[in-house]
Amino acid sequence: MDNNVILEFKNVTKKFPGITALDNITFSIRRGEIHGICGENGAGKSTLMKILAGVYPSGTYEGQVLYNGQELKLVDRSIHQAVEEGIATVFQELTLVPSITVGENIYLGKEPVKVGIINWEKLYADSKQVLEKYHLDVSERSIVHHLGVGKMQMTEIAKALSEDAKVLILDEPTSALAEAEIEQLMDILRGLKKHGVTCIYISHKLDEFFKITDSITVLRDGKMIITEPTKNLTVEILVKNMVGREIKERFPKGNRKPGEVILEVEDLHALDPRDPSTELLKGVSFDLRRGEILGIAGLMGSGRTELVMTLFGEFGKITQGKIKLEGREITIHNSRQAMSYGISLVPEDRKMHGLVLIQSILRNISLANLNRFSTWFRIDDIAELKESTDYAKSLNIKASNLQAMAESLSGGNQQKVVIAKWLMSQPKILIMDDPTRGIDVGTKYEIYKIMNDLSEKGIAIIMISSDLEEVLGMSDRIMVMCENHSVSTLATAKATQEKIMALATGTVSQPVLER
Amino acid sequence: MTTTTVPSSKKETSKFGQQLRTNFQTYALVVAMIIIWIFFFIQTDGIYLSPQNFSNLFRQMTITGILSVGLVMVIVAGHIDLSVGKLAGFVSVVVAYLQAYTWNQYLPDASPLLTTALSVLIGLIVGTLYGVIQGWVIAYLNVPSFITTLGSMWILNGLILIRTAGKTIAANQPMFSVIAQGYLPPTTGWIIAIGVSIVLFISMFTGRRRKVKYGFTLPPLYQDILKTVILSALVFGYVYYVNEYSGVQNPVLILIIIAVIMSYVANNTKFGRYTYAIGGNREASRLSGINIRGNTFTIFIVMGFLCGVSGVVMASYVGYGTIAAGQGYELFAIAACILGGTSTLGGVGTVFGAMIGAMIMASLTNGLQIMNVPSAWQYVLSGLVLVIAVFLDRVMKRNR
Repeated sequence: MDNNVILEFKNVTKKFPGITALDNITFSIRRGEIHGICGENGAGKSTLMKILAGVYPSGTYEGQVLYNGQELKLVDRSIHQAVEEGIATVFQELTLVPSITVGENIYLGKEPVKVGIINWEKLYADSKQVLEKYHLDVSERSIVHHLGVGKMQMTEIAKALSEDAKVLILDEPTSALAEAEIEQLMDILRGLKKHGVTCIYISHKLDEFFKITDSITVLRDGKMIITEPTKNLTVEILVKNMVGREIKERFPKGNRKPGEVILEVEDLHALDPRDPSTELLKGVSFDLRRGEILGIAGLMGSGRTELVMTLFGEFGKITQGKIKLEGREITIHNSRQAMSYGISLVPEDRKMHGLVLIQSILRNISLANLNRFSTWFRIDDIAELKESTDYAKSLNIKASNLQAMAESLSGGNQQKVVIAKWLMSQPKILIMDDPTRGIDVGTKYEIYKIMNDLSEKGIAIIMISSDLEEVLGMSDRIMVMCENHSVSTLATAKATQEKIMALATGTVSQPVLER
Repeated sequence: MTTTTVPSSKKETSKFGQQLRTNFQTYALVVAMIIIWIFFFIQTDGIYLSPQNFSNLFRQMTITGILSVGLVMVIVAGHIDLSVGKLAGFVSVVVAYLQAYTWNQYLPDASPLLTTALSVLIGLIVGTLYGVIQGWVIAYLNVPSFITTLGSMWILNGLILIRTAGKTIAANQPMFSVIAQGYLPPTTGWIIAIGVSIVLFISMFTGRRRKVKYGFTLPPLYQDILKTVILSALVFGYVYYVNEYSGVQNPVLILIIIAVIMSYVANNTKFGRYTYAIGGNREASRLSGINIRGNTFTIFIVMGFLCGVSGVVMASYVGYGTIAAGQGYELFAIAACILGGTSTLGGVGTVFGAMIGAMIMASLTNGLQIMNVPSAWQYVLSGLVLVIAVFLDRVMKRNR
């Protein structure tokens, strides 16, 4: 046995009724390395990780998984056994209890007890030790819901490591993080490597693989396509192997011709409705033209989402400043009103804010548009089905039929359902908050093409993104936000990643607006 | 709530298979009900399904049945209403009081038809008004529905005690009794049956025509005809069987009309769709431009109105208003909804399911009564059935 190998998959096949999720997977992961796994949605990454976590226990799949040379035999469906074996997972959706402290979360379910009573001193001391050992910069006594996403994730990592994990699985850890936080995470992972922890790293952001991984395995349609040391690979090779064809450019070229100004925002200030003592927006100004894509860049917590939610009438209480639509000053109190002005919002978190997961695709698409099909006492369900089908087709939503539940779709298709819903409302202004978060390369490309089509038809698009390449690749102009105000608006031609980062982190100030 | 592990989106299922799956619980319930019927049929030497008892069985489910029709919408929206039993009870007491004292005093010369109509009208208004107040507190003052309706339960209990002053109030005037104790003449029953099947056929054909207009492919004609024929046959069969006793029962007719209307409202109006969406994901609904407060308000007004209907039927059915009116009915109605597949987490549930649920509860109670099982044991068994049914449903869902 090769002592350098910690995990080995041998001919692993996992079938679900009607589909082979994993097809004869064979590859190995070396001890102490950071091993990237990439593939489009539905390629089998999650299924593979669920086998490691014990969600699909031994016997429900064919083939073998060797862990330290021994066959991994997980029997119960809970993740506890895997954790005891030293395999811990940081899930894509954070699984913390928000109302209690970081320390309590780290030791949730395994609190140190003395005669049945929790030993709080030990709990916090141990938490502190874990946090310090791995350089996780978060206080063990903070209440979780006060933390930002980045710190929550650190807590999640600490929770995984507190059991002395040998293998740490990170499932799209950066999908909710801003650039600076990603850097921090990368440092943490490098630190873990020094402590001898093996990491399995799943992501849709290909550049991250080259920053951090030692080797990469690509899955496609349940098959292992390649497994190579990172130094032998390039982004192009990865993409080609992931999609099975060559994608020439990541961003499709549009033929956009921005027209006259449709929306002007002048010095907007707004308060947090839940906590009126904090100012969420401290002076935001920009304008938006017909048929253009305006990118909004900024770190997580810079007020990007708060800004668009306020424009949609569903968040901040405006205290100062003006919003002008087609030259006329307007006030927006709720989403109904925003929609009546022709403003639509594809929200950041599609599962929480975009979709009713337990309802069909059809009902999700038509939800915001029922007025079009209905009188006071009747919905024309056939017209509804017809129009929804048209939108679903034009966006290429992949599903057996529109009666399928939204929760059964892959992330990319879910996002397309949300977009279909808002396109049906025929907006003049479409706001998209991180529209390609957690979506595979192929579907991203499709969404970019949809955005180009829309803007060519004269719709003005505001796109928030954490991915700077995306902002640069798709926008006509870029507004940068920093600490809850707008710093600058740049023409994309004059912008670079460095320039945007400098503005977003406040290391240079450039309060001038380039119009 | 975490979603159950859906293996993959690409799982291809035939349309029929999928339909069967989504309606699985409903079918399972119908089967369970038939099993219960067969069991009691054997145990009672056939008395259970004799025309007389069959007729009674349906009559007995009407009061809680009407409540469950409203409760489905309340629970689907993610709320709960613990006051429905007591509100119906209060309405029944008010109506009985009007019948027993008020009209004699203020309208001594009025015809029984007028007084009955006034009683019904005031009963419905009282229920609806209470729904308005309750809905306003929940929707606009943001007091959780559990708390609001728990408070209401006590308030209404107090009001019942005040109004009755601890006594039983008679409400057995012949005209008034007709509402819940009367039967349609057999011929009228047949006319209704014929009318219903004509409507079923017409709506099937217009549905097909509209589908063609929008360019959809139609299911084979025989399939639609078969479906409609089976439905019509059920209606005719029912009318035939209850005519063997005394005819179509008035309160059952009321229940069916209400259930059909609410079922329509749930699926084919914005109000209904929004209710399901709010229960499924409140935030996504809000961001889709839905007026959540207005919708919530409306739900509780409708619930109040249905409590009014239920209360009127109750007064007429039992023939008097008592201090115990409606006691525990809310729990029967909730149980009926849950048995019928309504999710306590909101977003899922159907009026039809709740009707079957109510039917099962009534079938059990009725059967046990005929078998002379002591009422204490009836409670024990009903409780067990509820928990076991929901448990089995969970097991079946997991293994699907």
